[in-house]
Amino acid sequence: MAIINQATKELQVKIVYYGPAMCGKTTNLVQVHDHVQTQAGNKGKLVSLATSSDRTLFFDFLPIEAMSIKGFKTKFQLYTVPGQVIYNTTRQLVLRGVDGIVFCADSQYEKMQENMESFQNLQDNLKALKLNLDEIPYVIQYNKRDLPNVAPVEYMDFLLNNREVQVPSFTAAAHKCEGVFETLNMITRMLLHKYVNQGRPQYA
Amino acid sequence: MATLPQLLEEDIQRLDGILTEYLDRSDAATALIIDKGGFLITHQGDARRFDLTTIAALASGAYLANQTIANLVHEENFDSVYQQGDKFSMFVTNIDEHCLLMVIFPSKTGVGVVKYHATEARKQIAAQLQAAQDRDPENGLDLSVLNLADPSELFRRKG
Repeated sequence: MAIINQATKELQVKIVYYGPAMCGKTTNLVQVHDHVQTQAGNKGKLVSLATSSDRTLFFDFLPIEAMSIKGFKTKFQLYTVPGQVIYNTTRQLVLRGVDGIVFCADSQYEKMQENMESFQNLQDNLKALKLNLDEIPYVIQYNKRDLPNVAPVEYMDFLLNNREVQVPSFTAAAHKCEGVFETLNMITRMLLHKYVNQGRPQYA
Repeated sequence: MATLPQLLEEDIQRLDGILTEYLDRSDAATALIIDKGGFLITHQGDARRFDLTTIAALASGAYLANQTIANLVHEENFDSVYQQGDKFSMFVTNIDEHCLLMVIFPSKTGVGVVKYHATEARKQIAAQLQAAQDRDPENGLDLSVLNLADPSELFRRKG
């Protein structure tokens, strides 16, 4: 859960990018890191705990401070999880204290099974942490839309966003930075509105 | 999952006081209280040489990874983690369900003294967090001061 420090007027929020292996979670963070417009000192280093072949081993981490929020320093900590199935314990560790989730799906037809398994895995891991996806703000990003063999958005909505109240979803080609900021801005808006509407933070 | 208590200014002042006293006694460089989710709650000591935000995120991840290893070798928990370096060493120890105490200290400083004084400091920190927990939990902060008039501008792309 977010930390609100009343002494320093700081709000810290944790957003986790979740999804199957090679769907573009790390690419999202790299693009945010490379292209975000911030005041000096408001963007931290992108830390990647990756294997020698650039596959995420533990997590990627990027701290950034949002612009245009008066009265508060609002710090967002962006994490990715390793997508490979074997790293499930690690995914659970990274989910601890999560405030908002970006579920990053691979739009290629042949990846639909992996997308659905990863989405189910997300719900299972949250349950293990006594959390419920229905109570956590999340958005879905349909990534890799620039590839030729992509499934229609309606079909992906049917598979991954088939709920009474659909969550916001975005198409993206993360390696071109398309859809990256739209996704990030939506999840941050949802999070901030949640805390404002709640009237009180969980802890400070 | 249970959550941390509300921490008011007086709590942070008290926690900072405990950390300052701890640094004086242990000869450590920097002491941090971090949430197990990876957030830095407060710190004292040398902050210029270290990227404390990133250190807090990595240290909590490393601590939790070690906790998982402990379970795999049929231990309830490895209560503390110690990493030795040439110039600086690091010691992380559990405070309570939610928080960790992390200490960065010059490697020439003995780990014994760092550990010894940490025992008392973590008790005091835990007591302060418990006191905050016992306070009126409804007494929160009015977040309506956040200016959300134009939320589309939270993050902008360069150029």
